[in-house]
Amino acid sequence: MGEEPRIGVYVCHCGLNIAGTVNVKEVVEYAKSLPNVVEARDYVFMCSAPGQDIIKEGIKKHNLNRVVVAACSPTMHEHTFRSALAEAGLNPYLLEIANIREQCSWVHSDKEAATAKAKILVRMAVAKVSLLEPLEDIKFKVNKNIMIIGGGVAGLSAARDLAAKGFNVYLIEKKPVIGGNAARLGRLAHTELELKGIDVVKELSKHVVNNPNIHVYVNTELVSVDGSVGDFKIRLIKNPRYVNEKCNLCGECAKVCPVEVPNEYEFGLTKRKAIYLPYKEAYPPLYVIDPESCTRCLECVKVCPTNAINLNQKPEEIELRAGAIMVAAGHEPYEPPIGEFGYGLSNRVITLFQLERMLDVEGPTNGELKINGTQPKNIVFIMCVGSLNTTPNAYPYCSRMCCASTIKNALIIKDKYPEANIYILHKDIRTYGRIDEQLYIKAGEKLIRFARYGEAPNVIVSPNGSINVRFFEETVQEEISIPADLVVLSVGMKPPKDIDKVRTIIKVGCGPEGFLREAHLKLRPVEAATDGVYLAGTVTGPKNITESIESGSAAASKALSLLTKEEVKVEPIVAVVNEEICSGCAICIGMCPYGAIRLKVQENVRVAEVDPALCKSCGTCVAACPSGAMQQYSFKDKQLKNQVAAAFIG
Amino acid sequence: MNQNFEPKIIAFLCNWCSYAALDLAGTSRMKYPPNFLVVRVMCSGRVDPQFVLEAFRRGADGVLVAGCHPGDCHYIEGNIKTLRRMTLLKRMLEEFGIEKERFRLEWISAAEADKFVKVANEMFEQIKALGPLKLKEVNTHE
Repeated sequence: MGEEPRIGVYVCHCGLNIAGTVNVKEVVEYAKSLPNVVEARDYVFMCSAPGQDIIKEGIKKHNLNRVVVAACSPTMHEHTFRSALAEAGLNPYLLEIANIREQCSWVHSDKEAATAKAKILVRMAVAKVSLLEPLEDIKFKVNKNIMIIGGGVAGLSAARDLAAKGFNVYLIEKKPVIGGNAARLGRLAHTELELKGIDVVKELSKHVVNNPNIHVYVNTELVSVDGSVGDFKIRLIKNPRYVNEKCNLCGECAKVCPVEVPNEYEFGLTKRKAIYLPYKEAYPPLYVIDPESCTRCLECVKVCPTNAINLNQKPEEIELRAGAIMVAAGHEPYEPPIGEFGYGLSNRVITLFQLERMLDVEGPTNGELKINGTQPKNIVFIMCVGSLNTTPNAYPYCSRMCCASTIKNALIIKDKYPEANIYILHKDIRTYGRIDEQLYIKAGEKLIRFARYGEAPNVIVSPNGSINVRFFEETVQEEISIPADLVVLSVGMKPPKDIDKVRTIIKVGCGPEGFLREAHLKLRPVEAATDGVYLAGTVTGPKNITESIESGSAAASKALSLLTKEEVKVEPIVAVVNEEICSGCAICIGMCPYGAIRLKVQENVRVAEVDPALCKSCGTCVAACPSGAMQQYSFKDKQLKNQVAAAFIG
Repeated sequence: MNQNFEPKIIAFLCNWCSYAALDLAGTSRMKYPPNFLVVRVMCSGRVDPQFVLEAFRRGADGVLVAGCHPGDCHYIEGNIKTLRRMTLLKRMLEEFGIEKERFRLEWISAAEADKFVKVANEMFEQIKALGPLKLKEVNTHE
C-alpha cells in the first residue's frame, strides 16, 4: 500500500432523516479527530450533485486517497458515491459507507445515543477504509437475450418493446395461456370504444405472437438461475399441456369429459371440464388438460378428430442463456375467506371480479346482471375488502385500482338498469390522477350513493336468503341498514402465490406484504437490487392496466440500456490467493459452489488459483483457509478485524 | 448486576438477506437498542470464527452472525458452511466460559425485519441479565 491514508469523511443530513436524530455537526467534529482523517464535512443531501461536488473538491483539494460517506444504506447510494470518486480521479473502491440512516437515525429515537452510535459507525468505516486497496472492475461480455417471467400486460408490453429493438425475448408464463389478469376484465374505464381487458391483451399479443424475436413458453416454470448480470444461465421446466398444435378447437373433447371443476377464468361462476380452452380468445389457441382434475378416462382421446391429445406427454427441461431477466409475475385478486362480508354464504355476495365477468357480454351471463333469474334492485358495493386493514385478513396497503373500478362498474350497471339503487360503502374515495376523478363526479350525477364506513360493515345473510348490510356512517354519524339484493366486494390485489419461489431463485428482495422490492422506490422503480434483474407490473405492488403497461415499457427501456452494451462491469471483490503462503491443501476448492478455484503447479509447488470470472465474491473459501492465504478484496481479514476493533477503541 | 449496563453487540450480516432485513427495519422505523453495530460481509460464509473471537476479545458482550435461510443463500450454500463452523464455535465458546446466550447464529431473510428486531431485543435482554463479559485472562494479551 505504501502511501499514508488521507481520508475524507462526508456526513449527510438526508434532510432531517439523519439530522433530525443525529447531531451531524458533532459527528463531523468527531471524525476530524480520527487517525488519518484530513477533512470532514457535512451537507444536507450528499447524494445530490452539489453534495457530490463537495466530495470531488475535497479529493482534489486535500489530495485524499480514501473516502468515508456517512449516509444511507450502501445498497442505496454506494454506486453514486463510487462514481463521484471515479470522476475525481480516485479509484472507486477506496470508499466505505457508514450506514447512519437505516441502521441508526431511523431506528433510534434518543438523539444522544444515536449521535454516539453514528460516531462509532464512522470510526468503524474509517478503520476499514484506511486498509482498502484500489481495485479494477472485472468485465464480461453481455448476452443479448432477455427472459421475461409473466405474460400479463406488463410482460407483453415489455416483450413488444424489446423485440421491436431487435432483441431476443424468452417470454415465460406459468399458466397455459398468456394475458394474465387483464384478460378477464370487462369494459375498461374511460374507453369510449368499449375496450375490454381482453382487447388490450389481444392488441399487445398481436405484436408478440408470430414475432420471430419473441419465444413464448406457456405452462413453463423457473427451476434455477445461475450466473449473473450479462450472462444468466437459466433452467426451466415446461409442464405438459397434453394437447398439441394439431388441436382445431372443435371442442368435442370437452363435451365428453366427465370431470367438472370451478372455472378459474370465470372466477368460479361457472364450471369447466378437465380438458378445456381457458377462454374464447386465449393464446395459444389450444385446449389444455388440467392434470390435477383429469381422471385419465381417455374419453377425450377417443373423440379427438385430429389426434391432438397425448396423455403420456412428459415435462420438458429447457436451458436458456440471457443477459437480463425481467420479473412481471403479476398479482392475484384477494379472495375473501368464507363468511367475510357474507362471502360464500350466499350467491348474492360476489367479488368485483365476478361482477366484471357477469357484466361482460362474453361472460357466463352474457352481460346480464341476474341472480337466481331476477335483476337485483338494491346493489351495495363494499370497498377496501382485503385492503387497508379492513378485516384481520386484509393487507395494510391500498390496492389502487379498486375505487375507479368499482365506480366504473356502478356506472355500467346504472346505464343498463337505471332503476337500480346503488350504494358504494367506502373508507375513502381514491379516484386519483387526471381522469379517474371524472368517474366519481359522474357517479354523483347519476345518483349513485356514497357512504363512508369506519368499522367494517356487517353483511347479515338471513336463513331465508335476504341480506342486510349494516354499518355506522361516519359523515352523518348514524347507524344505517340497507336491504341488499346484491353485495359486491371490491377486493384488492395480493402478491401471486408462487412469487416466493421465483424471488428466491432470482434473489430479489420483497417487502413485508410479499410484493417484490425495487432497487429504489423513486430513483430505480423498475429495477431489482440484483444487477441485471428488472421488475414490471403489479409484482411490485397494485397498479391499474395503464400503469402496468407503462412499467413494462419502462423496465424494457432500462433493460435495453444493459442489453445494448457490449460488456458489463462486475464488482472486483473476488477471492485472491497469496501464493507465497498457500500450501496447496485444497480446502478452499471444496468450499466453492461455482468451481472457481483450482490447483496449479508453479515451480514444483501446488497453489490454489481463483478464476475471477467465475468467482461470485461470497468469501466462503476465505473463512475456510487455514493459513490466511485466501483473501477477498475489500473484505480481507485485516480490513474486517480493523473494523471490528474500531467498534471498541476510542 | 449493574442496572445501567448496556450490552454492546457486534453483528456480522450477509449483504443480501440479513443486512437488507436490518435496512428494512430502518425503512419501517422499527426500534431496537443503539449498541448494535454491524459489520457487513457479502455472505455469512465469509465470517471467519476468528472474527467472532476477535469481537469478544475487543470487548463485545454479544455477537450475532446472520445469513439467508438455508436454501435461500445468494451464494447457493455459503450459509450451510457457516452453520457448520458456528456450531463448532458455539461449543468452543462455552469451553471458554462465554455463555451461550452471548453468541447467536440466525437466518433472517430480507423481508424479516420484525424477526431481526425480535432477535436483537432478545439478545439485549438476555445479555443484560448476564452482565458484562469477563475475559480477564484472554484480555491480558493485548
